[in-house]
Parts: sequence; structure tokens; C-alpha cells
Amino acid sequence: MNKGNILVVDDEDIVLLSCKRALTPEGYNVKTVRRGADGITLLGNEAFDIVMTDLKMPDMDGIEVLRRVKEGWPAIEVIIITGYQTVETAVKAIKLGAFDYIEKPFTPEQILTVVNNAVARRANQ
Amino acid sequence: MRAHVKKTIYSLTGKLIITIGTLMVVGSTIFWYFLIHFQEKELLRNSVKYGHSFVDFVEKSTRYGMLTFQQLLIQQTVEAIGSAEGIVKIRMFDGRGKIAYSSVKEEKGTMLGKNESVCMLCHSNSRKAVEMPSWSIKKDKDGYRILNLLQPIYNEPACYTSSCHVHSIGTAILGFTEADISLSLLDKAVKKQELAITAYVLGFICLLSVVLCTILWNLVSTPLSVLTHGMERVAAGELDHTVKIDTKDEMGELATAFNAMTFDLKKAKDELVEWGNTLEKKVEEKTEEIRKAQAKLIHSEKLASLGRMAAGVAHEINSPLTGIVTFGHLLLKKFPEGSQEREDVEVIIEQANRCSNIIKGLLGFARASSAEKSSINVNDIVNSSLNMVRHKADFFNIKIVLNFDESLSSIKADASQIQQVFLNMIINAADAMEGKGTFTVTTRKVDENGVPFVEVEFNDSGPGINEKDIPKLFEPFFTTKPVGKGTGLGLAVSHGIIQDHGGRIRVRSTIGKGTSFFVRLPFYEG
Ligand code: HEC
Ligand SMILES: Nc1ncnc2c1ncn2[C@@H]1O[C@H](COP(=O)(O)OP(=O)(O)OP(=O)(O)O)[C@@H](O)[C@H]1O
Ligand SMILES: [Mg+2]
Repeated sequence: MNKGNILVVDDEDIVLLSCKRALTPEGYNVKTVRRGADGITLLGNEAFDIVMTDLKMPDMDGIEVLRRVKEGWPAIEVIIITGYQTVETAVKAIKLGAFDYIEKPFTPEQILTVVNNAVARRANQ
Repeated sequence: MRAHVKKTIYSLTGKLIITIGTLMVVGSTIFWYFLIHFQEKELLRNSVKYGHSFVDFVEKSTRYGMLTFQQLLIQQTVEAIGSAEGIVKIRMFDGRGKIAYSSVKEEKGTMLGKNESVCMLCHSNSRKAVEMPSWSIKKDKDGYRILNLLQPIYNEPACYTSSCHVHSIGTAILGFTEADISLSLLDKAVKKQELAITAYVLGFICLLSVVLCTILWNLVSTPLSVLTHGMERVAAGELDHTVKIDTKDEMGELATAFNAMTFDLKKAKDELVEWGNTLEKKVEEKTEEIRKAQAKLIHSEKLASLGRMAAGVAHEINSPLTGIVTFGHLLLKKFPEGSQEREDVEVIIEQANRCSNIIKGLLGFARASSAEKSSINVNDIVNSSLNMVRHKADFFNIKIVLNFDESLSSIKADASQIQQVFLNMIINAADAMEGKGTFTVTTRKVDENGVPFVEVEFNDSGPGINEKDIPKLFEPFFTTKPVGKGTGLGLAVSHGIIQDHGGRIRVRSTIGKGTSFFVRLPFYEG
């Protein structure tokens, strides 16, 4: 069964792999890309329920990805992954419509909880 | 102390004395000359007057003899009168120049020529004859003057009607009487007077000089030399020196003015010195201030760059840590509970979490350099911080005492940063007390050099801090806690945060009694 389609954007392979390994066994369909631009392109081709994006990336940063997703696909929930949390960026992300944020390093349980919550909210709407 | 006075003629006193002395000598000489001259003239005039009366007297004494033609009687009378003191000689001439009678008996009857000096008076070429009494002065052998008097004997009715008929009615002058009167007494008196006056004048000049000298010495020379001496000492830098002249005259005024000037000079100099000193102090103070500001700047710059580095490191390290933690957890599920492999994987996860904690501690520096200040009350922050940890097992047996100054007004600060500081203080205390004892938090207002501060004291009844550790407390990574429990970043970050807020942290600790941390934050108006 497919609980939902998730797109993960991060410039670090290990983070992408971690998300995939943590979520796939739980019934999620996980696609990963290493650049924000690739993610936006992929969104045009496939349907996703949730987008998870790192904040700090070389070409397009997480805030920009969030803004583009909310512009093009407002129904998709966005979860921010941060290497270090600051009040400003968290507030900014929530204001721009992010569902939640999760700090690195996270455990499989933590990421699963956040994703489950996001999926639940999407289902409620 | 009497100063040395120049006693030369170049000194003021010398010049004045010489001038006044010369003026007095010249003046009194002139005065003296005119006085004597006038006096002598007067005396002579009187002598002549008396001389003429005397000659009159002689003529009148002989008148009877003449009228009765008793030549012997006349001669005897003339001799008698001529023998009186001061009378040199008396002669009576007849109309033809014969000495008819004389006090010098031998001369009687001698005929004199018209060339005799006595005859020349009336018989000189210019004047044929003089019918007037006259006088002249000659000198005797001692140099004294002799008054020579000539007086005609006029013809009168009694003469030409006399029985002897010697004189006819046509002749005007019958003869003349000549008398020599000595003026030696007068001359002697004048000489004496001259001497006396000279002596008086000299004495007077001497006396006046002495008086003038004394007056000038006391009024001018002495004060002047005292002043000169004073000026020399003042010029040599002795500004405390005052000139003591108490007179009420110009010298006293000069001394007062001089003392006032010295006083002003001293005041000005003192002010200058004082100014120089305070300037030095001020420069030192400013230098210290600048040094402190610089140190603070360097410190906050260090903090900021440490923060930037920490942020970078956090981002870089957290991604691999995510991998370790995630895969660790995934692996964990594959091993049965209690197996050696599972325990090993748990260690891996634990250590990864430790790394994550270190990173979080480092991130405190990143946050310390970006404060968001709002109006907060420290009592509230203390309460909320305590509420976050109160329920933890470490605090179950710790007695918490709160001494709040409820009247504290709010301060401008970053609430989450201040809470981070307070939390670290609370956790440090709990760690030190090892689960038992009393923890007291006191808030109060304090005054530091007139600037109001709010002070929060965190006091615990723990074991205290070793004196040698106290200087290291605020260094990053200084900790005495076991590996995994403390990172040693708590106080370092706290210090950065509080300094950033314009406050400071102090420690007071007694071994065996406990420790107090004092956090001071300034009240900002508004
Ligand atoms: C006081 C003035 C006076 C003196 C001094 C005087 N005589 Fe005469 N003598 C006269 C007068 C005046 C006459 C004229 C008498 C007359 O004419 O009545 C005169 C007349 C004479 C005469 C006569 C007339 C003549 O012209 O020859 C003889 C001489 C003379 N005097 C001789 C002398 C002799 C000498 C002496 C000096 C010792 C002398 N007298 C001094 C006034 C003076
Ligand atoms: N109340 C206290 N009583 C005794 N020692 C203290 C107290 N507070 C701090 N210390 C000492 O100061 C050291 C440094 O404290 P700091 O808060 O900087 O780091 P930490 O508590 O060891 O680690 P971290 O706060 O990063 O978890 C502590 O390890 C401890 O030895
Ligand atoms: Mg600590």
C-alpha cells in the first residue's frame, strides 16, 4: 500500500538515503533529488503529497523551494529540514506556509511522526 | 632679615642726598652772601650817620672857642675828643687847607697842598668845590677799615659878626672838620657773624643729610631691596614667598600688588600642574576605556566568527550525523533485545547524539551574536526557566527558594538568550549539588557608579569551585563534568550573551559551602 508520495530535496546524499530508508519501509513512496530546480521540474511531471527540503543548498535554498511549491502546488505540505535551527528562519518558514520543521540529526521515529502528521492534515483538508 | 643695600653714589639714596646737599650748599651760600652784604651796608650807613653826628658834636663843642677866638681851648677840646676809644684822629682845617687844630698836637699849623687826597675830594678837576658833608673808607695797618668823614664849617652870622672879625660875610665855607673813626669793632663782629653762619649752615646740611638718609633708607632703599630680593626668589621659582612691607605708602601698595601677583602666578601654575595631572589621568582613563572597548569588540568579533564557524560546522556535521543516527536506528531493529550487537549499535547512536549536543552548544555562539531585544522582566524569565527543569528527577530533593524583588521594572533584552543563560546556571547548580541541598535565586536592584542594574543571584549549597578553576570557568570547553554530561560551553556562551547585553557575570564560591553566580544586566530606559 502507498501511504503517500514524498519528494526529498537535499544536497547531501546521506540525508536523502536516510529519509528513503526511514520512510520506505513505512509505506511511503520516496523520490529524492539533489537540487531544488530538479525538484520543481519533477513536481511538474509527477504528483506528490509532501515535499521535504533542506534549508541550506548551493543553487536554490529551501526557502525558495518552499515558495515555488506553495505557488505552484498549494496543496502539497512542505516540511523543512534544518541543519541548525534559528528562530528567524523557523518563523519565516512557517509564515511562508511550511507545515513543520525537523532538525538534523533526526531519528527514523522523529521523521515518521512529522510526515504522518503532515499526511493526516492533508487528508483532513 | 635685612637685605644688602648698595651704598654707592649710584643708589637712589646717594643721588638724592648729593642733589639735595648741592642745592642746599648753593642756596645757603647765596642767602648767606646777600644777608651779610645787606647787613654790612646797613651797619656802615648807621656808622656814617653817627659819624656825622659825631663831627657835628665836635664842631659844636668847639663853637664857643671859635666865637671867642680861644685857640687853646679849641685845641684842648679836639685833643680830648680825639683821645676817645675808636677815634683815630680829628682835624680841623681852615679855608686855605691849613690844619688849624688836630687831635695829633704836632700836626697843628701844618699847611697841606691841594694835591693831598683829603683835598682832592672837593678840589678835584671835575668839581671845583663841594659844600656837602662826605665820607670815605680807608684801611689801617691791621687791615681794619677806618671811616673818614669830612664836613664843611659853614659861615654864619655869628661868625662874621664876631668881635675878632676874622671872617668876612662873603665866604660860604670857613673850613672843614675831618674825623677818622675806626670800624675795627664792626669788622670783627661781621667776621664773627660770617663764621657763625657758615658753621650753622654746615651743621644744618649735615643734620639734614642724616635725617634724609634715614628717611630714604627706611622709606625707599630697604623696601626696594626687600622687593628686589622677593622678585629674585619668585623668579627662581619660589612662588610661596611673600614680601613683608606693612607701610601704608606706595611701597606698601607695591608690595601688596607684588604679593597678589605672586599669588595669582602660583594659582595659575598650580592650576596648570593640576590640569596636567588630571590630563594624564584622563588620558589613562580613556586609554583604559578604549582598551576595554577594543577587548570587548575583539571578544564579540571572536564570538561572532565562532558563531559563523559553528553554524557552518553544524550544517556540515549534522548531515552525516543524520545518516549515522538513522542507520543506527534501522540497524537496531535488526538485533534482538539484549544482544551484544544491539548494545554496540546503541553506543554508536549515543555517541552520535553526543556529537549533536556539542554542535548545539556551539550554536549558542551563533545565537549570542544575533539578539532580538524586547521588554522583559527577569523574575518571569527565572520562573519560566525553573519550570522547564523542576519536574526532572535531579530536582526532586532540592529545595528551591525564591527571593524576588517584585518591584523590578522590565529591561530590554533577548528573552530566549537570557533564558538560555539562566537555564545553564540552574542546571550547573543542580549538577554541583548532586540532587540535594538548597538552591536560592535572588533578584535585586543594584547601583554601579550611578548606573542602575538588575542583579540575579543563583546560589547553591554545592561543594564550591576550586580557586584555580575560577579564571577558567568562562573559557569554552572548560568542564569538570564526566564525558557526555557537559560540553563546557554553557558559561562561555552565557558570558558572551550577558556581555552583549551590557552586563556581566561574577562568581563567589567557598569550598564546602556553596557557590553564587551573579548576573548583572543594565536597566535601559524605554
Ligand atoms: C670841604 C671841601 C674842601 C676841602 C676838603 C678843602 N677845601 Fe679849600 N676851599 C673850599 C672852598 C669851598 C673854598 C672857597 C672859599 C671861599 O671862596 O669862600 C676853598 C678855598 C681854598 C683856598 C683859597 C682860594 C683858592 O682858590 O686858592 C685855598 C688855598 C684852599 N682852599 C686850600 C685847600 C687845601 C690845601 C686843602 C686840603 C688840605 C683844602 N683847601 C681842602 C673847600 C674845600
Ligand atoms: N554552581 C556550580 N558549582 C560548582 N561548579 C560549577 C558550578 N557552575 C559551574 N561549575 C563548574 O564550571 C564548569 C563549566 O560550566 P559550564 O556551564 O560552562 O559548562 P558545563 O556545565 O560543564 O557544560 P554545559 O553547560 O556546556 O553543559 C562546570 O563543569 C563546573 O565544573
Ligand atoms: Mg553548564
